Amino acid sequence: MKNPYYPIDTVVEDIITETPTIKTFVLKPAKPIPFRAGQFMQLTVPGEGEAPFTPSSSPSVKERMEITVLRTGKVTDSLHEFKPGAKVGLRGPFGKGYPLEKLEGKEVLIVGGGVGLAPLRSLIYALLENPAKYKRVSIKYGARLPDELCFRRQYEEWSKVAPNVDFTNTIDVEAPGWTGRVGLVTTLLDDLDVNIDQSIALSCGPEIMLKFVTLKLLEVGYKPIQIYLSMNRKMSCGMGKCGRCNVGHYYLCVDGPDMNYDKIKHVPNVFG
Amino acid sequence: MVISLFTKKLMLFIDSTNFERLLRKLSSEGELFIPVPEEETGKLHLQRVEDFPLPELVTFEGYRMVEPLKAFAQLLRYPVAEYPSPDTDELPEDKKVPAFVIVGARACDIYALELVDKVQVEGEFVDPFYKIRREKMFIIAADCTECGESCFCNLLGNGPWPERGYDLAISKVSGGFLIVAGSEQGEKIVETNGEFFAEPREGLVAARDENRQRVVKKLAENNGDYPSVDGLPELIREHLTADIWDDIAAKCVECGACTNICPTCYCFLLYDQKVDGEHFQRIASWDSCQVTGYARMAGMLNPRPRLTDRVKHRYHHKYDYLVLSHGAVYCTGCGRCIDTCSAGIDMRDAFRKVKAAVAK
Ligand SMILES: Cc1cc2nc3c(=O)[nH]c(=O)nc-3n(C[C@H](O)[C@H](O)[C@H](O)COP(=O)(O)OP(=O)(O)OC[C@H]3O[C@@H](n4cnc5c(N)ncnc54)[C@H](O)[C@@H]3O)c2cc1C
Ligand code: SF4
Ligand code: FES
Repeated sequence: MKNPYYPIDTVVEDIITETPTIKTFVLKPAKPIPFRAGQFMQLTVPGEGEAPFTPSSSPSVKERMEITVLRTGKVTDSLHEFKPGAKVGLRGPFGKGYPLEKLEGKEVLIVGGGVGLAPLRSLIYALLENPAKYKRVSIKYGARLPDELCFRRQYEEWSKVAPNVDFTNTIDVEAPGWTGRVGLVTTLLDDLDVNIDQSIALSCGPEIMLKFVTLKLLEVGYKPIQIYLSMNRKMSCGMGKCGRCNVGHYYLCVDGPDMNYDKIKHVPNVFG
Repeated sequence: MVISLFTKKLMLFIDSTNFERLLRKLSSEGELFIPVPEEETGKLHLQRVEDFPLPELVTFEGYRMVEPLKAFAQLLRYPVAEYPSPDTDELPEDKKVPAFVIVGARACDIYALELVDKVQVEGEFVDPFYKIRREKMFIIAADCTECGESCFCNLLGNGPWPERGYDLAISKVSGGFLIVAGSEQGEKIVETNGEFFAEPREGLVAARDENRQRVVKKLAENNGDYPSVDGLPELIREHLTADIWDDIAAKCVECGACTNICPTCYCFLLYDQKVDGEHFQRIASWDSCQVTGYARMAGMLNPRPRLTDRVKHRYHHKYDYLVLSHGAVYCTGCGRCIDTCSAGIDMRDAFRKVKAAVAK
């Protein structure tokens, strides 16, 4: 019988510093772990425990997987101290993943904040593999400061991949040497030029950002059913057994982590 | 021969001496647990027996055990993985457990197992540890011949005898028990031990039914002041006012005893520890949604920071969320949470308050 609690032996092959607090870990598990964009993994730091992360790499790459991690506590602190060659463990994938089939033929609006661009990057890879399938892919991204922007090396490539793909970013407050846009990520939604009726929006970032992005999207005319949010709850088992990760009657680890806003809008304090 | 008469749900009689013989036989196939009362209070506990004759105190009458049956399927604390190990997520053979036989399981506990099964065994992933222990569990159910002060299975439309979910079920009657098989395994035990069984004497079935109705009546009397759970999921979902939860939370001391003793609460936490050098172990351990740290995330974010939120969550999970996600109310009315609560919180009061608040 399969033991879903066993962490598959995995080697950290490479570590890329994205920002002062975010690193991307290139992982090679003992056997390939196929996943769909938006599904998440439980990553084990031996002896310390587990934490959930959504791969930031392309679901088409089977042998390796990248996760991009913000340093914030016990497990993530240890990870950030690691050097290439370190051993970790992986369980998963868990959850549903992004509703890719629902995005076909649509104007896809992607809104990320901070490390929230990490899970979205695997979606971006999946979409940009075949941009013609989608009417439009518009990526909006914000971080607090210029050096907190993740994956800067890829922005240009993303904007140029196809005429129906665009990328815009912003930082929260003025910073020396910054010539780009300034303002919260919601300001990128002020003068949206997408056809909202034909659009689906997907957002990932801190809960407070998700809240304001959702309010903004509703204000500009999105219906709740057109909005998908990557929700965040404490997780342990990752597979609907340990009872921990409710959002309303959903277990985020099984029914999410990306939730259609229409399904959860009635949940009190849904954004925490 | 009696055996040939035996088909599913056919009722037989077994006298007390032969029942003990049957248990003795079963004890050679697995660990045997039987109900033994505390001398002072008469409350029942499951006790492992290895020697026969059975302890003098053993009884197959009364009502449920103090400890919930789930404790046999999902251990309080158990290792779920050791790592690294040679590249495998297959469960090692030595993780298989011996069979065990539980005698005297009551309706409320048996139904609770059915509910927890839905969570641990159904769906895309299966908890192999729970599944193995469940498969190794041979259940001999017993009718309740009494009910406790806190029993309220009737408000939930079940008890005080089980309809399914057992291998064998006994009903105490004069001189022995009426017995039925509820599974193929149970049927096999009856077939291979035909000499222990006889056809029920005239009047025994009527006596059993009389006993059952006596307990039904007692349950109705004891719970006369409380509303049934009918319609409660909708009420909780749509009308619930915060005051009810504030009232309950004001008394709660946040010990988590109610969730630990609950036969349907299945929450656990995984944590890792070092065995030696480069070897680690992952442990699963019961957890309670009533304690602060349960859902706390990095950066001290907590979706349910106040005790009121957590108390409310417990009721919602049982009477609302799981109805939507798993199709059933996750309370069987066993009343253990009432017995165990040091603050005197009674779930039935909450039903009453909810219904009263809505009526207003
Ligand atoms: C589905 C999902 C996908 C995620 N993807 C990413 C990602 O791609 N990149 C990223 O940087 N972060 C991601 N996170 C958040 C990340 O899991 C937490 O930051 C991390 O668990 C913090 O662990 P810690 O031990 O360092 O923090 P501590 O505060 O020390 O955490 C203590 C314990 O709580 C648990 N925990 C704490 N915070 C969270 C949380 N927010 N969510 C779930 N469990 C938590 C951890 O498992 C840990 O065992 C994701 C969270 C979820 C639920
Ligand atoms: S709640 Fe009902 S089934 Fe359970 S012990 Fe009490 S009377 Fe028996
Ligand atoms: S993480 Fe265990 S139920 Fe979702």
